[in-house]
Amino acid sequence: PCPRQVRSYYVDWRMLRDVKRRKLAYEYADERLRINAIRKNTILPKELQEVADKEIADLPRDSCPVRIRNRCVLTSRPRGVKRRWRLSRIVFRHFADHAQMSGIQRAMW
Amino acid sequence: EKDESTASKDSATEVASKSREGTAETPKQKLLDLIGNMKVEVSYRNKLQQLKTREIKKQATNKLEGPDSEGSMLQKTTEDTQRGKPLNPELVKAASAVASSLPLNKKQTESELLAQLRRHEETTDKQKKGGTINIRNVISEMAVKRQSPAQGGLRISRRISLELDEDGHRIKSERLSPQSSDSRRSLKVGRRLNIFTKASKETENALKTVSSPTIWDLEFAKEIGAITAQPPRNGFEEMIQWTKEGILWEFPIDNEAGMEDDAEFHEHIFLEKHLEDFPKQGPIRHFMELVICGLSKNPYLSVKQKIEHIEWFQKYFEEKKELLQEI
Repeated sequence: PCPRQVRSYYVDWRMLRDVKRRKLAYEYADERLRINAIRKNTILPKELQEVADKEIADLPRDSCPVRIRNRCVLTSRPRGVKRRWRLSRIVFRHFADHAQMSGIQRAMW
Repeated sequence: EKDESTASKDSATEVASKSREGTAETPKQKLLDLIGNMKVEVSYRNKLQQLKTREIKKQATNKLEGPDSEGSMLQKTTEDTQRGKPLNPELVKAASAVASSLPLNKKQTESELLAQLRRHEETTDKQKKGGTINIRNVISEMAVKRQSPAQGGLRISRRISLELDEDGHRIKSERLSPQSSDSRRSLKVGRRLNIFTKASKETENALKTVSSPTIWDLEFAKEIGAITAQPPRNGFEEMIQWTKEGILWEFPIDNEAGMEDDAEFHEHIFLEKHLEDFPKQGPIRHFMELVICGLSKNPYLSVKQKIEHIEWFQKYFEEKKELLQEI
């Protein structure tokens, strides 16, 4: 009865892993921020900063935000993804040509 | 049981009439024996107890009103005699038999049953004579209104007079009292019709006592809501539904929707009071002051989050105290 495709699973495992990384990064965001504030300091003693370095390395690897990759939401394509629509260029073109993207028009000048 | 007793009384009267014709008394006696042998269930006790208490209260009030017990008894007897026809002796016998069958006070139940019988007879007499509600009395007061066109014109002109005095005020015709103007006759004239009875106050009190809504009530309410919620007929109704659900924002947009920051500005900016536990001199203090400076400029965090931030640092530095003391 639904006019659109019904997707109940993630597109592939890579997308799933990306989702896990995003969740962990959200949970550890505050701690990472604070420990980094101690590390990137000129006032505090260096020993403290070294200890902080070790602590941040002990955190789970997937909790760092650098590991997140902005994949396409529909096809899980890692490259050619426009941030505003979270879609890969191919999907974007497909929808825009079928007039399913609001406010998007073919450029002509 | 009351229906049974009345049915038995009716049957007893029928049997009594038959016996008057000349047949033997055995069937009636048999009936009476049956009634005497009937054993009432225990559940009837509560009803009887209630009846008893009511009767006791009535008697108590009667006694209080009357000067002496004898005087009240005399009043009662006069009331009894005033009630017109004496009861059928057959009915009295039947009542006594029923009373004997019931487990509680014989005499009391007998008197109650006899009182009930008297009431029945009264109502039957009234209905025979002609009834309490006479329709003639009701219609006699009503009269058909006839409006002649000339009078209609007069009335319209009487309503608003646009004439003006010398000063400029409107000339108002004398206001008739609202009662007499509405009807030719006044409202308080006429015989009492006794159609309506005063509403009892018990129902009001019963309505006020409401228990907390049970799960079934909530389910019922949900069901009703689901049934009455029709699909939206147009785009506006769709937007209304979305706004209720929370999908659509409320316009004009207020930037603080959902944000309930009750804290004043000074709680955001002057965060030094949270720094009491820290040492007053040294690099840590310097560091924390920088942290506080940064937090005070942060509009995105709530006061609670800022306090948590500072407390985390506190904990962290306390754990590292030994390390720091080595340095």
